[in-house]
Amino acid sequence: MSQRTTFPEDMRCVVLIGIDFDGPSHEVGRGIAPLGKHSWGSYSARCGVPRHMDMLASHGIKGTFFIPGYDAERHPRTIEQIDRNGFEVAAHGYLHEAWELGAEEEETLLRKTDRILRDVVGKPVLGWRSPSGRKSDRTMAVLKSMGYVYDSSDKDYDRPYRLRFGKGRDDVIVELPNNTYSLDDFPFYKFSYTPPSEVLGQWKAEFDAIYGVDRFFVFSLHPRSGWGSGTPSRTRILSDLIAYMKGHDGVQFMDYRSFAQWCLQHRDNLEEVSFA
Amino acid sequence: MKPYTWPQGARAVVLLTVNFDAESFDLKETAPDRLFGRYSYGRYAVRAGFPRLLALFAKHGLPATFFVPGADARRHPDLVRELAANGHEIAARGVDLENFATLGDKETEVLETSRAILADITGTAPMGFRAPGGELSSRTLGHLADLGFIYDATFQDADHPYVYGLGGERKIVELPSTFALDDGPIYAARHTHARLLAIWRDEIQAMHAEGTLIPITLHLRGDFGSTRAARIAILDTLLTELKQLAGVRFMTCGQLAGHVLSLNLPTEPDPYLAHAETLAKTVYRGDLAVRPL
Repeated sequence: MSQRTTFPEDMRCVVLIGIDFDGPSHEVGRGIAPLGKHSWGSYSARCGVPRHMDMLASHGIKGTFFIPGYDAERHPRTIEQIDRNGFEVAAHGYLHEAWELGAEEEETLLRKTDRILRDVVGKPVLGWRSPSGRKSDRTMAVLKSMGYVYDSSDKDYDRPYRLRFGKGRDDVIVELPNNTYSLDDFPFYKFSYTPPSEVLGQWKAEFDAIYGVDRFFVFSLHPRSGWGSGTPSRTRILSDLIAYMKGHDGVQFMDYRSFAQWCLQHRDNLEEVSFA
Repeated sequence: MKPYTWPQGARAVVLLTVNFDAESFDLKETAPDRLFGRYSYGRYAVRAGFPRLLALFAKHGLPATFFVPGADARRHPDLVRELAANGHEIAARGVDLENFATLGDKETEVLETSRAILADITGTAPMGFRAPGGELSSRTLGHLADLGFIYDATFQDADHPYVYGLGGERKIVELPSTFALDDGPIYAARHTHARLLAIWRDEIQAMHAEGTLIPITLHLRGDFGSTRAARIAILDTLLTELKQLAGVRFMTCGQLAGHVLSLNLPTEPDPYLAHAETLAKTVYRGDLAVRPL
């Protein structure tokens, strides 16, 4: 039951490109008007999301946009376009809550964002990534009750696994762990001001280390300006990275929901970890 | 991405902008009689930085836009006149590097004063404004339009200029910039000039390839500015490379704002209104920012 997660031989590396929309919700949720230098979030809908969609389409690959409900309310046309272009719309908080929430408030906001996204795209939402990585011992149960099949917030492993959050037969959700230190744009562009060409080298090295070993590359990117990757130079290196990955055998680019479905269909491949 | 209409078939437009920020910056921290030691990097701006940067622009024959705090202009009127005589544009930046997000009712007065100081020195009222520290209030754009300013250059949310509609006939051109092409944050993080060169080459090449605005922001200061000898050399290299790119047009902010107005673009809504209701009931959590260990 608790053997390590394994991939079939021909699946040399699964690449999940996750783009956290992070519009003005990021500032507004903290009580900051999105004006002047605080306007990076407005870049997402205006420039970053279209540029990322164009870039992914040019490679013919899928990806997932994790979207705060507040941003979806203000940019419904952009969210529709994401869905219409064949990309996945998933949840990412309401006001990008980067603080602890009470149990009741947490559930209210999870349901509120789910309703907003579902209403815009007219189909169920299947996954969630925590804004800021905070979650509680109740979060998974609420997601599961809304029909979600995966979470992509935990940082505790290099491979996907079945996260058991309760004693019940169905109290299990697919966990697609991410990390916001090395496979995320924000540390390089906010803290270290690393030149994009150097970030490209960094991520190629990350991919080399993962390819054929843990075989699971999970990205957390942002289409905003400032510390995000929506701008020309930073989208260009993402495109270069994807071209590099495509040069390797057995690399599969999937959206998160498709890979989570694969996990559900191949449950014997997945390690199960219990936090019940 | 939608193509943008640059003047006369230019492929990309470069804005060389300079935040003058001399003693006014140090005076945020200390008293006028204590501008010594660590508080003299602003004096470096006017003693060493200013002539060096002006000589570089002259060598390349390029026009720049200087955003000059009113108090610095009062202290150095000859330098402001020298800028104007060399074909550079002079634009407003408050009087004492005020934080416009918290100025309240004094905003109009500060804007009027800064405008009058620059107009008195150069004989021409400034057309544009860039907020100190990048901070604006919900009312700043409206005040700028009311006072006759044509553009703001504070936002960081677009690849191209655009126009805000502020109700009635009021509008203001926005010339967005980016921290990625601002020497301040990079040198303030104590990076080498080699690293700045690497970042800016990446940025400029990709922006040129896509035909976006290439908004460069410089500072005159001796700490986080570009005027030390080795840093000026980097800038010299970058300007030389920039001029060799196909179809690049260097403009002042005022020239570009005039071009943008001539396009009669549909306006963007006031950037505060969509968030006013939520902000009114949201507590300040600005200190949540993730910091290094």
